[in-house]
Amino acid sequence: MEWEAGLRNAISEGDEVMADEITALALREGVTPKELLEKGAVAGIYEAGRLWQEGTYFLPDIILATEAYREVMKRIEPLLESGDVSYRGKVIMGSVEGDAHDIGKNIVIALLRSASYEVIDLGSDVPLVSFVDKTRELEADVLGMGAYMTTTMRGMEEVMHLLRDAGLRDKVKVVVGGAAVTRGYAEQIGADGYGENAAAAVKLVDRLLGAV
Amino acid sequence: MISPDMLKLQMKVVYKLNKAIIYSYGLRIGQLDGYERLIAGIYGKPDRVPVITQPYTYAMGMHGLSAKTFFSEPEPFIHASWNMARYFGFDFWSPVFDFYNIELDALGQKLIWRDRSEPDVDTSDPLIKSQDDLKRLRPPRPGLDGRMPYVLDSYKRYMELMGVPPMAYACSPFTMAVLTRGYVNFIRDMRRNPAFAHRLMQFLSMEVVVPWIDKMVEATGAAIVIMSDAWASQPNVTVDMVREFCLPYIEKIIRATNSALRTVLDTGSWGERSVQNPREVLDVKMDMMLPGNALKALRPFFLLVWNEDYEETGIPPIRNYAEERKVCLMLNVRPNLLEEGPPEAIVDNVRRLIKEGAGKGRFILLLNLVPIGTPVEHVHAAVAAAKQFGAYPIAPDLDGMTFRMPEFTPFAEWAKKEGLPVD
Repeated sequence: MEWEAGLRNAISEGDEVMADEITALALREGVTPKELLEKGAVAGIYEAGRLWQEGTYFLPDIILATEAYREVMKRIEPLLESGDVSYRGKVIMGSVEGDAHDIGKNIVIALLRSASYEVIDLGSDVPLVSFVDKTRELEADVLGMGAYMTTTMRGMEEVMHLLRDAGLRDKVKVVVGGAAVTRGYAEQIGADGYGENAAAAVKLVDRLLGAV
Repeated sequence: MISPDMLKLQMKVVYKLNKAIIYSYGLRIGQLDGYERLIAGIYGKPDRVPVITQPYTYAMGMHGLSAKTFFSEPEPFIHASWNMARYFGFDFWSPVFDFYNIELDALGQKLIWRDRSEPDVDTSDPLIKSQDDLKRLRPPRPGLDGRMPYVLDSYKRYMELMGVPPMAYACSPFTMAVLTRGYVNFIRDMRRNPAFAHRLMQFLSMEVVVPWIDKMVEATGAAIVIMSDAWASQPNVTVDMVREFCLPYIEKIIRATNSALRTVLDTGSWGERSVQNPREVLDVKMDMMLPGNALKALRPFFLLVWNEDYEETGIPPIRNYAEERKVCLMLNVRPNLLEEGPPEAIVDNVRRLIKEGAGKGRFILLLNLVPIGTPVEHVHAAVAAAKQFGAYPIAPDLDGMTFRMPEFTPFAEWAKKEGLPVD
């Protein structure tokens, strides 16, 4: 099908305008949201992720691909029916309080979605207590936190305390990442995993949930 | 027309520069003060490794100041910063405000203010949302708009206290472009609409940054002007993007503002660890500084490599690169380590940085960020270790040397006796 290759290429090449146009046209022509998701959007972001991992793409390329994917998802997500998509696990993710940076988080989210995870994006500058509330409310399998600045990174440790206090620590896997965060810090606060970059984050979630 | 006071100040700076440079080449006449030690460290070998700081939010926290006060009122800002630098005995300090935001604030970019950290650009509401926004945008009136008066008044107070001009700070046009457009938008501009990206860079460089540097120089006679460029870093952007959209404008700004008495440079970027060949990033950093001074003999200036990078690449290859290019190497101490300690670990880290980085000179140690709440003992340990281990010639048995932790007066007590009032 022509739309399949078109949408896949538009997303992997980071052309959000073209991706949205193809999606809108395909929907008018009767293509189902599920097909658009699986054969176009996911295939496109998966391809971008592959090119990034093999070193052909640089970070700006994967960011533009992520944005194109998000644009398409805005249009098709409300149209998906329950049962259209089967997920491998539920992940909630946000940048910690005081941190307005969300670029890295958005890439991780797009790649996790392309790997068939249900991801709930809590946004950036997320109050620490919200991580705990949402973990409980949504019964997440994985809680992901990102921090770009040394000053905001400390909030992750506080969230770990809050999770323990709420009796949730054993019920959720916690992964952390972001420019300020190191593997040593992740170990120090007792996180279950550290994602060095977005591609590593997907493998990490796979491993923690026993998906590989 | 230069004022007699400014002329006097410039003569003093020329004297200090000459004394420091001559000293750094081995003619050790007299003692160096902190400013001279810094200059000698840039061009050769001083008496010991210079240890410098950006007091920033740590000074704010030590004095219990709110971010609003610290980042908008010159008197408490300068006094708190000066107290911090003097209390710990740093060789040199710069009055460092939130230098990425000043021009943006003056242009009308919305900032987010918080109680205990620097203001941050509201990235959800970028100033230039469309090409038309750029057409409508008027350059700031240098020294008048936003918090530019705060910066100039702070510099004036710094000069009264220190007797030398400050290092003046500006935001690099590339980082400013990212902050006014939003990162994703500017990436798109560079990839899909390069003509617009160049128009934006031209506007920010020649109508915002150059007039602001001119104004700061006019007010202070600054011998060193630093443009900070955190966003021109890998992997945020590629080396090719930096070469096409950043470097040509840095060069234009530098050529428009430098002189034999003034070095203007672009620094603060990082990313050696993010590319296969770290030399690619080091080469770009060097290119950002090469036209820095009108006199070739005073180029380049220093090569700043951040802990996130040198901890991955190792210090020796970076040191070798700096020696090859005959440039001073500046390394920072990891902020988290300063915060967490213990002092023994900080001392060992400083010892290693000096052992691997100091070589035969051309080396500076920087405490760029001391996180709020860091115990003062940790900072004292870092400074004392730098002074003890950094004496030239560097001891060959540095690892075997016993560190002597200095006694120190608690800050509150010291400030009461010697510090300047903050109110």
